[in-house]
Amino acid sequence: MDVSDGELARRIAASAPGAASDVEAELYGRLAPRVRLYGLRHLRDAQAAADLMQQVLLMTIERLRDGKVHDPDRLGSYVLGMCRLVVIDLRRGGRRREQLLHDFVGDVPVGTSAPEPRVDEERLEACLARLAARERSVLVLTFHSDRSALEVGRELGLTAANVRVIRHRAIVRLRACLEDEEGTP
Amino acid sequence: MNAAACGAPLDLPALLDYWLGDLAPGAVDSVEEHVMSCAACADELSGLVAVGAGIRRLASAGRIWTVVPGAFLQRLVDEGLHVRQYRLAPGGSVQCTVTASDDVVAARLDADLRGITRAHLVKLDAAGREVHRIEDIPLSDSSDEVVIIERTDRLRALPAVIEYLRLVTPEPGGERVVGEYTFIHTPSP
Repeated sequence: MDVSDGELARRIAASAPGAASDVEAELYGRLAPRVRLYGLRHLRDAQAAADLMQQVLLMTIERLRDGKVHDPDRLGSYVLGMCRLVVIDLRRGGRRREQLLHDFVGDVPVGTSAPEPRVDEERLEACLARLAARERSVLVLTFHSDRSALEVGRELGLTAANVRVIRHRAIVRLRACLEDEEGTP
Repeated sequence: MNAAACGAPLDLPALLDYWLGDLAPGAVDSVEEHVMSCAACADELSGLVAVGAGIRRLASAGRIWTVVPGAFLQRLVDEGLHVRQYRLAPGGSVQCTVTASDDVVAARLDADLRGITRAHLVKLDAAGREVHRIEDIPLSDSSDEVVIIERTDRLRALPAVIEYLRLVTPEPGGERVVGEYTFIHTPSP
């Protein structure tokens, strides 16, 4: 469907509740990966991110149906604000999700988002082996537990700026290797 | 903004800095606003996150040869992984193996690294000939060891064999040996 997120939001708002299920599914599928990323970034837990995704998108579609999203062209900002509120709620052990699921799960086309992307691990393994030792160490220390440049630098005796340079160079080389479909890594 | 268009795509360093907590709070808000409205940049970030997750899985499975700080091994242990560790003094040797229950196998090479800014690891054959060299391993001048994580799949495939490692540092006119280490490997029954 080659229309903007805002246009999808307007179509949902203009329809009777539940009558635009294909449009709701399309919007859900677009927003789900973005909300999941927000959840992973702030909650650092895949299940918690999935819970956030479902809760935020149910609430968004509910608000759209009720005509409560006043500027559909700024839907991203609206969803982001919702993410921030729900993360605070989740951290407080909130129970809104259970109520929302009870109210809407049979009504909103949930679970239509694309699967979480995964890399070919055998290829990744081979590509990592091609990096310089220092680059490999920085990537392992960085991504094993999503550590900042400052934290990695402290462990390796490097400045944060130096870690960022090595990290960037390593990722560029790694992705080039992963995307090279012609040659063997 | 539709699924394909992005008027001002975020660059790779910005996405990495965002994901890893290296941005100032104000800049974080700006990146989040953009990613939430932009499918292209969200896809780009998802790809980076997938690579990071892959690295994490491989590291936890002992499938990446790498040099790490000693504290990293403790983090693996704290995660509940079974980490087999061998500590060697310079000139020392160790009887070693890998078992089915080992997730990660590490060698802790004691070394006097004071004043050393560059070092290479050299693998030798039984006759003392160089067979492989890893240039410029990461060093911390506050450490007195070099910690290597070996690939468990390589170790599991090894027959009974003796492997030799030499840690060297470049100096004017050649290299100085910092330490030599001998691994007497026996396959696990």
